[in-house]
Amino acid sequence: MAVVLIFVSLGWSHQNVNDLSKLRNSKLSPVIMIPGSSATENRFDTLVKKLNKNNRNPHSLIKIQVSTEGKLHFTGQLKKGDTEPVFVVGFANNHDGYDNIKKQAKWFNLAFKAITKQYNFNNFKAIGHSNGGLIYTAFLENYYSQYADQITIKQLMTIGSPYNFNEKSVQHKTQMLSDFIQNRSKIPKNLSVYFVAGTETYNSDGLVPLGSVMAGKYIYQGQVKHFTTISVSGSDAQHSDLPQNDQIIDLINRYILDPKKLPQNQQGAISMDGQ
Amino acid sequence: MINRLLNFSAQVRNTKLASAVRNTFTLLFPIMLLGGFAETIKFVFLNKNGYMSQMFGIYQWFPYDKEIGWVMGVIFHCTIDMIALYAAFGIAYYTAKEYQKEGAIAGVVGLLAYLIVSFQPLGGGIPNFSHFLMSEGMLFALVVGYFSSRLTISFEDSQIDDHLKIILPIFIVMLLAALLNLASLSLLRLEIPTYVASFVVKHTQFNALLYVLGMGVLTNILSWMAVGGPFSGSPTFTDTASMGNMNAALKTGNSWNVPYKYTDTTLFHSFANFGGSGVMIALIIAILIFSKKKRTRDVSHWSIFPAIFNNHYAMMLGIPVLFNPVFLVPFIIVPLFNMIVAAIFISLHWIPIAAYPVPLGTPGPLIAFIGTNGNWLTLILGAFLLVIDVLVYWPFVKLSDRISQKAGEINEN
Repeated sequence: MAVVLIFVSLGWSHQNVNDLSKLRNSKLSPVIMIPGSSATENRFDTLVKKLNKNNRNPHSLIKIQVSTEGKLHFTGQLKKGDTEPVFVVGFANNHDGYDNIKKQAKWFNLAFKAITKQYNFNNFKAIGHSNGGLIYTAFLENYYSQYADQITIKQLMTIGSPYNFNEKSVQHKTQMLSDFIQNRSKIPKNLSVYFVAGTETYNSDGLVPLGSVMAGKYIYQGQVKHFTTISVSGSDAQHSDLPQNDQIIDLINRYILDPKKLPQNQQGAISMDGQ
Repeated sequence: MINRLLNFSAQVRNTKLASAVRNTFTLLFPIMLLGGFAETIKFVFLNKNGYMSQMFGIYQWFPYDKEIGWVMGVIFHCTIDMIALYAAFGIAYYTAKEYQKEGAIAGVVGLLAYLIVSFQPLGGGIPNFSHFLMSEGMLFALVVGYFSSRLTISFEDSQIDDHLKIILPIFIVMLLAALLNLASLSLLRLEIPTYVASFVVKHTQFNALLYVLGMGVLTNILSWMAVGGPFSGSPTFTDTASMGNMNAALKTGNSWNVPYKYTDTTLFHSFANFGGSGVMIALIIAILIFSKKKRTRDVSHWSIFPAIFNNHYAMMLGIPVLFNPVFLVPFIIVPLFNMIVAAIFISLHWIPIAAYPVPLGTPGPLIAFIGTNGNWLTLILGAFLLVIDVLVYWPFVKLSDRISQKAGEINEN
């Protein structure tokens, strides 16, 4: 009996490793998110929960916190069969300010490098909320080129990102915006970019002026393949509520995530996951 | 010295609390034994990720596998998955009995208290309970049930009005339990297993090894105390360290050089969990060979089937191993020894690392064998460790026989 089990196990093991090697070539297409200042890697929990609602293949949520010394702390797991996991990269030092954004871009690069080593993918989608969008811009201009051969960034969505900080008018360019515009040629040309702005009043989401969000067009417009700006209003259009705004979740589903396979006819019978 | 220890253990065995706990386990044993059978059949034989299911393709050809799996699943969820609930009732009932009081009322109060403690309103208004507290929180259940029972009993002896005698303790228990519920909400949000995995990733190999050994010991101590520890459950193979290992192994075509050599998967689950916590299958074998006590042997016979597939509940309750000081030492030493030997073999490059995923409920030494994609030395090492483990358990089985004999004598006097 034991001998039978040993040999059956051996055969199964070889077959399984064979299958896994094949599977390894079918790559992931993750979504990598960066929260804004003062927010942690838990910032997008609600967003992911909403994305996963009624989804037969829910997205895994893997969080990475980068310490000020550049050490990484991972939580969460890749679910079996999920090809589109969500990574959220948060920073122990999540303060505002251009100097910090430069540091955070450097830290994000460390996390990104670790993700590319741990998981196999050749393309990804990016979402940045508030300063997260600025960190992404800094990352694309200063660090992304080293990966560009192997890994394509397909879409970037920035949500309420203050490209000109609190300045309403582009007449007054901050140092950061000037730098971003100066280095815009390093941003990949085949990228599709979506700017989402919340509007609580006619010109602000309550925190970030609409003009500051739209100032980002001087960086991206004309440089990337597609550039779209969208403004949302109504409930949850206040700056901090944007990541759980249902309209924005709809936009993410439509523009950022891979198209869903058509749902098969659900059988009413039995499906139980006791694990 | 040994005699004194024997006497002391035997006396502890005969206290009211110990006797109530033992009676509770006796009550739970048949329920959890059958629950264990159901769990094994569902997760190992019928579930797509189960060992037998994978090996013999059962999920493909077996008729009505889904329906049978459903039935087994219901039985499992309402027994082992809610084990703490039965424990809360049992301990409260038998505590009252020990004090020669009405058991049913105390039992219901204990049940009520634990239901309140573990209630977590998560889904739209349907009763929903903390899975952790229900399935792994038996220690808490015993504590809550015991004190509820004592409180109820104490009111029964008092001079107050007859109606109040029942209503007042129930009211107090309700209130305290609800407050406990509030307190536990914040405590249970920790994601310990993934934290362990990320520790392993962040630190040097040697630190990781010490950490995994320490966490393994902690898991077994907690498991002996009927609480889920950091490594409870099966390996998931989806944490960062395992993913990294598997990727490296698939890339190079073998698992000799992987980034994280000492993790819960490569050491604890692969070498220290044969038959469940404390290498339970070794205890079963030791009892069947060396024990003369009929009841213990019967329990072991019954527990073989689930234990082959690493389901240890029946043994934990039946012998019992839970809270049993006699078995605490081997229960910790045996897995620790296995992990250390395996770590030495790994560090000397004698065996590759278990980096490939293993189906649910794979029997003992086959775990590392499959995990290394069929390395023969790994299999031999596993079998060899199992033999040593049985020998380590041997004196403790003898000791246990002697203590229960002694306890029987004291009882008779």
